[in-house]
Amino acid sequence: MKLEETIRILYDADVEFVVIGGAAMGLQGSAYLTKDIDFCYARTPANIERLANALQPFHPVLRGAPADLPFRFDAKTIAQGLNFTLSTDLGDLDFLGEVSGLGSFQEVLAESDVRTVGVVDCRVLSLEGLIKSKIAAGRPRDLYVLPELRGLSQVKKKAGVE
Amino acid sequence: MTQDQEKTVLDLVTNPPLGSDLAKAKEFGIDLTLFIATLRRTPTERARSLSEGARIFQVAKQIQRK
Repeated sequence: MKLEETIRILYDADVEFVVIGGAAMGLQGSAYLTKDIDFCYARTPANIERLANALQPFHPVLRGAPADLPFRFDAKTIAQGLNFTLSTDLGDLDFLGEVSGLGSFQEVLAESDVRTVGVVDCRVLSLEGLIKSKIAAGRPRDLYVLPELRGLSQVKKKAGVE
Repeated sequence: MTQDQEKTVLDLVTNPPLGSDLAKAKEFGIDLTLFIATLRRTPTERARSLSEGARIFQVAKQIQRK
């Protein structure tokens, strides 16, 4: 997983995205570890095109699918789908068009903070947004991280730390 | 983090207010002292730490398969 590099690549390609999931938790200060990176992306035709072009050099394939399954992560495929779990040369990347508990890209964007990662200012889902999405997802592994996220949110607010 | 912020974080994680979310997290089993280290880091350092954690996880998985 190459988080800093992946963010830089998407940023350089003008892809509109918000880092969500475990990577967002880590960027916000959680001690949680993750092996994949989740993004919410804008579903405009122009952004879909930019996303497809940005990832094309990194050989995206559907994670867990048979190797001989024909798949092209191009603008047409993205437009016809919504959420994609990919294996790429950058590691495992998930691209979601919607996030449970929050909605589509604009709602996710509204719940995000700007964080500087390397030389890039990118959008990262806020702790409050993460808490909402984890409650809505409701799986045991989502609920399991809530105490840490709530505690972290409290300590950051009281100490005034980003 | 400034020194004042770090002192506040240290106070909170070592003595979480009764009934607070921090106290509930501690009761749940979260090691609150980890927040001191993670909040000291910049987002860039956190990103690098996440990538390193994922790399170690991958290596451990490969060793387990052998």
